[in-house]
Amino acid sequence: MALSLIVNGEQRSLDIEGDTPLLWVLRDELGLKGTKFGCGAGLCGACTVHLNGQPVRSCSTPVEFAVGGEVTTIEGLADNGQLHALQKAWIAEGVPQCGYCQSGQIMSAAHLLATNPAPARNEIVAAMTGNLCRCGTYSRIIAAVESVAASSLAYDASAAGQER
Amino acid sequence: MAMNRRDFLKISAGTSGSLMLSLALPGCSGMPTGYTQETGEWKPDAWLEITNTDEIHFTLARVEMGQGTYTGLTTLIAEELEVDPEAITPRFAPVAPEYRNPLYKLQLTGGSTSISTSWEPLRTAGASARQMLIMAAARVWQVDSADCSAAQGRVLHPNGRDSMRYGQLVELAAKESISDDVVLKPAREWKYIGKQRGRLDARAKSTGTAVYGIDVELPGMVYSVVTRPPRYGARVKAFNESDVRAMPGVLDVFEIQRGVAIVADKYWRARKAQDALKVEWDNEAALSLSTHEVFASYRKAADEDRGESERSEGDYEDSLEKAERVFEAEYSQPYLAHATLEPMNATAWYRDNSIEVWAPTQAPDLGRIAAARVTDLSPSDVIINTTFLGGGFGRRLTQDYIEEAAAVAYRVKTPVKLIWSREEDTQHDLYRPAMLHRMQAGFEGNKLTGWHHQIVGPQLLDWYVRNAAPAQFPWAPKFMYDTLGKVGLLAEGIATPKDMSAIEGAIEYPYNVDNIDVRHTHTDPGVPVTFWRSVGYSHNGFAVETFMDELAHETGEDPYQFRRKLLAGQPRHLEVLDRAARLANWDTPVAQGRGRGIALFKSFGTFVAQVVEAGVENGVIKVYKVFCAVDCGQVVNPRIVEDQIEGGIIFGLTAALYGEITYEDGQVQQSNFHDYQLLRQYELPEVAVDIVQSREAPTGVGEPGVPPVIPALGNALFALTSKRQRSLPLKADA
Repeated sequence: MALSLIVNGEQRSLDIEGDTPLLWVLRDELGLKGTKFGCGAGLCGACTVHLNGQPVRSCSTPVEFAVGGEVTTIEGLADNGQLHALQKAWIAEGVPQCGYCQSGQIMSAAHLLATNPAPARNEIVAAMTGNLCRCGTYSRIIAAVESVAASSLAYDASAAGQER
Repeated sequence: MAMNRRDFLKISAGTSGSLMLSLALPGCSGMPTGYTQETGEWKPDAWLEITNTDEIHFTLARVEMGQGTYTGLTTLIAEELEVDPEAITPRFAPVAPEYRNPLYKLQLTGGSTSISTSWEPLRTAGASARQMLIMAAARVWQVDSADCSAAQGRVLHPNGRDSMRYGQLVELAAKESISDDVVLKPAREWKYIGKQRGRLDARAKSTGTAVYGIDVELPGMVYSVVTRPPRYGARVKAFNESDVRAMPGVLDVFEIQRGVAIVADKYWRARKAQDALKVEWDNEAALSLSTHEVFASYRKAADEDRGESERSEGDYEDSLEKAERVFEAEYSQPYLAHATLEPMNATAWYRDNSIEVWAPTQAPDLGRIAAARVTDLSPSDVIINTTFLGGGFGRRLTQDYIEEAAAVAYRVKTPVKLIWSREEDTQHDLYRPAMLHRMQAGFEGNKLTGWHHQIVGPQLLDWYVRNAAPAQFPWAPKFMYDTLGKVGLLAEGIATPKDMSAIEGAIEYPYNVDNIDVRHTHTDPGVPVTFWRSVGYSHNGFAVETFMDELAHETGEDPYQFRRKLLAGQPRHLEVLDRAARLANWDTPVAQGRGRGIALFKSFGTFVAQVVEAGVENGVIKVYKVFCAVDCGQVVNPRIVEDQIEGGIIFGLTAALYGEITYEDGQVQQSNFHDYQLLRQYELPEVAVDIVQSREAPTGVGEPGVPPVIPALGNALFALTSKRQRSLPLKADA
């Protein structure tokens, strides 16, 4: 079927079977290889992208469900060439080992911070529990998310200070 | 320290001949070295390439699968070259004799050996290049080279003002000959070794731009999936070819050695066509056993055959007769899958009578053999391009996925990417072998006088030599491959190293006991097995350190003190044991509802002790804390050491809590992460890692975190419940 969707802010049109998982459309039709295939069953989170602002498992999301929707992938997270705060934190903390799961981890964390800029530790853990990491980078992931949450708190405080 | 060039040559000659040549005689080895006018590049050796525009490329001969070679090895060469590691661009090595791992005489990454085997050669390579650059600058300036120095990619004039960029000097440096003595920097002058904390691949891996095998893209590329027999060893009898050909996008469907391959224009179409495929299997030679039969066969083998003696000290039989008390226990461990997050995959392109492969592989030279084996090509017609690996853990030492991709590419003659599903990855893995251990110990009074350990199970080289033996003799004609595989077995210790996979960790039993008897009863039920993060140490660690805990309990001793008293003359073991106990406040009571367990295990040259605090909450085992002390000699990158040890702990806990592959009627029962579970974020314990500051030669860190955590957790649960678990995975309701 002919369909179109908005990927990282760009209108993309293609002709493909509607039951094709969004993951393979992103990777093989649109060349966005940053989103990874891990399990094909929504169990590991390596394929996590945002669809209309919500994190979804693209391996288990037929592309027809995304028609007309807005998809954000790891490639679309940077803003005008500026890395997302989480990406900077991931680099500063040296989070990745093999790195294969990290696009999915970052996309899950990005959704968390978009909806809850200063999450508590247990909220971070809950939000990140759907993303598997076989290398065991879990504690660095928490540290990286917390460092961004803390700086957003600091930013809020200074903004609040200015208002007063 | 000064390392005499001749000493270096001697070391190299003993380990990998052509590596020596490439360094000693630039331009005269198999690997071209020297300056190339057209490109402005200087290659002082097999690893470095410095351009006249100051680009520095480093050929990384050990693959990056998360363990940190990309950063660690680059740091070694950067330190001596006097440049920031960040200024160097690593690239993955092609297959060449220069890049073989000297320990295995194969170009493979495994056994936690990358830093230890690169420590001298890479620093020497960096120092040699630096020295040649300095000599070239001194010649230009007409000063004594001994008065010049190098820093941040420049040679500095003795006057303290002038300097020249390396790029300006490469053409001249290529004309210098290396002096006899290559002087390595003393430790006090290190800028990066022991200090570097970042990872050079962190940016690519945080932006989705790192290229893994599965990301390779070629013009006109098609996709392939393979249906393999549910029972290992079954052959294709028949399949519904025309039904599959009628499916949308299908380009071809055909039998290959390992099953039925489907080729389609898109991956998802290949998968859907696979749903329509019906294969009739010939199960004549197929595996038909169930897991309980594996252990029954192990017990039978153990009864019938005491096994090959692998370590014998004193007179164990005599000590047994004299013993006042004798304790016995039997331990068992299941098959384990690797579950790399990037499933097996490879991309291959057959053209012009050669085949080019792109793959996440731990052993590219074995990949060449695998591709040659299923085509009419010879290994020299096979080019292997290595990518980043989405996890390795030993799985990618076996080249079955390259074999499949090569077989498919050879037929379709267009670039083709072959991807395994998670289910296929789980069910067609080669597993960490299931093992059985029979332990016996004798006491006179409270003195442990005899230690007996009978290990029962397969050896991994039986499975591995198939491709490894031909790779060591690449000039051998292909019809000899199978013979070489067998020679590899027969000439153990000559063509292939002695197979330590079943006994490693058990024969290095560190405790002072007068009479020691370690044996291996070799029995192989035919289940495909291979290396798995820490391999033999992973199962021997559980048997040895759980039994030690049982003995401490039986004699009424504190498990930490019991071990401690038996470690006289083992200062490095003792140091990490004491540190882990201190870190865990061993001498203070543990919180209500928790148990505390300790274990100590040396693997890959690295000493690791761990204390685990665990409990049972709502019928589920809960690991609260892991305290770990590690001595891996000189640390190159402290953060990567911490991460590898912590990652090993999580890998070990995953095995201890969940890891189990079972067979029913020859078929693997697990398929995906719902029934082959990995530890998740919410289960993460608090982990504290204490690294011993040491100037000893560096040893491995990728694997040693794994073995002790499994018995330490079991011992903690025993401390809590007084119920001893002797098989894995551990249960909350044992």
